[in-house]
Amino acid sequence: MKLGTLFKDAWDALFSEAATEPYPNPHPDETERLRGRLRWNPEGCTGCSLCVKDCPAAAIDIFVLDKKAKQFVMRYDIGRCTFCGQCMQSCRFDCWQAANDDWSLAATTANGFVEYYGKEEDIERVLAGPVTDDPVKV
Amino acid sequence: MMELLQVLVTMLIFPAGLFLLANAMIYQWIDRKLVARLQDRVGPPWYQPLADTVKLLANEEVLPHGVNKWLFIGLPIIGLAGALTTALYLPIAGLPPAYGFPGDLIVTVYMLSMLTLCLGLAGANTRDRFSMVGATRTLTQLFSYEAPFLLALLGPALAAGSWQLSDIMAYASGNWLLFTQPIGFVVVLIGLMGKLEITPFDAPEAETEIVAGALTQYSGRGLALFRLGQWVELVIGLTMIAAFYLGGIHNPLDYVIKTLFPLLIIAALQTLMTRLRIDQTVGMWWRYGALLALVQWLLIFLMGGGQ
Amino acid sequence: MTQPANRKRFTVPIGPQHPALKEPGHFAFDVDGEIVQSASVRLGYAHRGIEKATESRTWVQNLYLLERICGICSHIHATAYCLGVEKLAQVEVPPRAQAIRSLVAELERIHSHLLWLGVAAHESGFDTLFMYSWRDRETVMNILEVMTGNRVHYSANVLGGVKYDVDDQQAATIREGLDFLEERTLHYLEVVSTDSLFLQRTRNIGVMDREAAQLSGVIGPTGRASNVQRDVRLDSPYAAYADHPITPVYETTGDLLARFVVRLREQLTSIDYIRMLLDHLPNSPLTTRMPRRVKAGEAISRVEAPRGELFYYIKSNGGDMPDRIHVRTPTLCNIASVAQLVIGQHLADVPMILVGIDPCFSCNDRTSVICQDGQRDMWDWARLRQYGIDHYGTHYTKDLG
Ligand code: SF4
Ligand code: SF4
Repeated sequence: MKLGTLFKDAWDALFSEAATEPYPNPHPDETERLRGRLRWNPEGCTGCSLCVKDCPAAAIDIFVLDKKAKQFVMRYDIGRCTFCGQCMQSCRFDCWQAANDDWSLAATTANGFVEYYGKEEDIERVLAGPVTDDPVKV
Repeated sequence: MMELLQVLVTMLIFPAGLFLLANAMIYQWIDRKLVARLQDRVGPPWYQPLADTVKLLANEEVLPHGVNKWLFIGLPIIGLAGALTTALYLPIAGLPPAYGFPGDLIVTVYMLSMLTLCLGLAGANTRDRFSMVGATRTLTQLFSYEAPFLLALLGPALAAGSWQLSDIMAYASGNWLLFTQPIGFVVVLIGLMGKLEITPFDAPEAETEIVAGALTQYSGRGLALFRLGQWVELVIGLTMIAAFYLGGIHNPLDYVIKTLFPLLIIAALQTLMTRLRIDQTVGMWWRYGALLALVQWLLIFLMGGGQ
Repeated sequence: MTQPANRKRFTVPIGPQHPALKEPGHFAFDVDGEIVQSASVRLGYAHRGIEKATESRTWVQNLYLLERICGICSHIHATAYCLGVEKLAQVEVPPRAQAIRSLVAELERIHSHLLWLGVAAHESGFDTLFMYSWRDRETVMNILEVMTGNRVHYSANVLGGVKYDVDDQQAATIREGLDFLEERTLHYLEVVSTDSLFLQRTRNIGVMDREAAQLSGVIGPTGRASNVQRDVRLDSPYAAYADHPITPVYETTGDLLARFVVRLREQLTSIDYIRMLLDHLPNSPLTTRMPRRVKAGEAISRVEAPRGELFYYIKSNGGDMPDRIHVRTPTLCNIASVAQLVIGQHLADVPMILVGIDPCFSCNDRTSVICQDGQRDMWDWARLRQYGIDHYGTHYTKDLG
């Protein structure tokens, strides 16, 4: 039978820094494997679109402009992404990397939530053409 | 003319009006901050109670179905007014009380209970089920701590041989009643926690059972006034404790130090305890609280304190 | 759960919106003064149609959908699903992957139990214990982040294995965190079993003896607090539990206190188990090849989630999408017991009794059709589908314009 069993914790807390932090705060220590915003690297990509098929959130789309010439544009919707890492797992050529330092997704506008990866002229072609809403299937 | 002005100032600015409200908000913040620090949290910024109040005052006040409109609007005002009135008889901020008459101790204590009574009535006035249960609990709790609280507060009065606050304070400023009446001090401190519905006596507003208790239906101004009233009571209670038990209040600095000390104890007790059920609260007060207060009386008589 | 036909009864509703219950379930308690006379439970406020949704997603995509059935026991849902699908596809998962699945599952158990400790303490008004237990929960969440990269939906599983390995450096981080957690868990065990004020709120409250527990089919830690000796990890071992059996925890008193003690002691066994696993991690690859189409057939898989037995039924017709997936979460087994437990208790104890079973509402929500005339009735998909079209057609077409 005791009273005030948490006294020591409370006493210690009075003289140490609080465990909570005000927002927004810089993430104190990003861990190596932290899955943040994804980056696509076109170098190894063969346009197999396995990652697109496996993405559970339909967050990525690939536009194959010319398979032989390796002209691909990848559209990535961060707003839909659930950071599950399946695309990283599915791609045999390690095209997908999760940035461990870019994870804060709070924003006041929706701009910038959809990203296009690829060569600039290809992206322009994709954005100009009628293909934007209906990705070219291989 | 001058006299009228003076009365107005006493009522509206110091000690009863604006000053007391500001004081109450600051003490409320200190309490919240202390609890937060004891729980290893950052806690609210200093202006949080003010921001809360301003926001509530700006909110629309919703008048629920089935309430008596006048009671619904009037009760918070009466409650707050009662709490503010008590400041007239107390040495707020270390300055001598504005008014006083023989027996004002009793008036003060009853004025303090008025807020609780208003709270209970406000809950019973609405048709909301959570309010009803909350009101029942508020009033039940009132009857449990009130007697021991009053008995304990009469201890200093007995020792001083007067029921006028200024006489008691004059007596207490020479004698640290904390040491001659320690049991009374404990009962009053814990009684104050019961009055303010602070954990472990927060069954009347236990949010996990009955949402906000008697205040569930209140929004906007009524809620703000009730909350302010409770915070004012905190300051009044602390002032009484400081004036009676901690060697009296002589100057503003003295006031701050001596009221913060019991506040620290309240914050610590609040942190370390879990909420009691209402039946446990009642049982505790009648079984131990009343008994302790009576033991304190007996001791006062035995030591020849009663005159 | 029948209510007396007394018109004057005073009912206190808790939920679907109530500060005690941040999740959408509805309980109606008839009280006489402060004493509860009868209670009824109503579910179905957060039915998400996940089971149906699985039928239009591939096997791989479903893994992440099912993981999201529960935010707290996400890993165990994915594990149950993987185990079932791997059984159907007759894929042998490498031993290291099995061990890592168990490892993450035990970490998740610690995280879930600490979360529960905080919630239960908050229901009783002991906010300080709530704050401290949640502060310490950060430790285990950080461990999970170091291991898998996420704090909540770890997504450590893939079909045929796991994604993430544990290297020596991470093992050291985990061990360090576990030492801290062990110390804290022992401390909380002392707090809940010695703090006299807290004991007043837990001892001999909501007592359920073994027979009553078995009658209402209570499982998991709630059952083990009433000495119902069931634990899937022992009864039908999966992942690493076959090679390394876990030490079960039972209590006999069956009151709220026992439910606290069981969960805290389970944390201690989990901590020991993780240490043991780290010492005995087998060497093998992390994944095997998994076909994209799964052989036709049916499989069930059972795992021990932090709240009790989790059950999956999976049916494949040989395609790249499942034919039917059925999920039964532990809360569904436990929730009916609340209606019996609260009778005769104080209203003030109701939230604690309710939380005592560690309910998770949206996990267990499902719709039910009540047959008014007492006849049994079977609905096939075609009829259900038509019902859905009619229902939403009449309710929502106007809004959609
Ligand atoms: S899986 Fe890899 S190679 Fe295939 S389309 Fe995606 S990024 Fe390109
Ligand atoms: S992380 Fe998951 S949700 Fe995000 S793009 Fe990759 S597969 Fe899709």
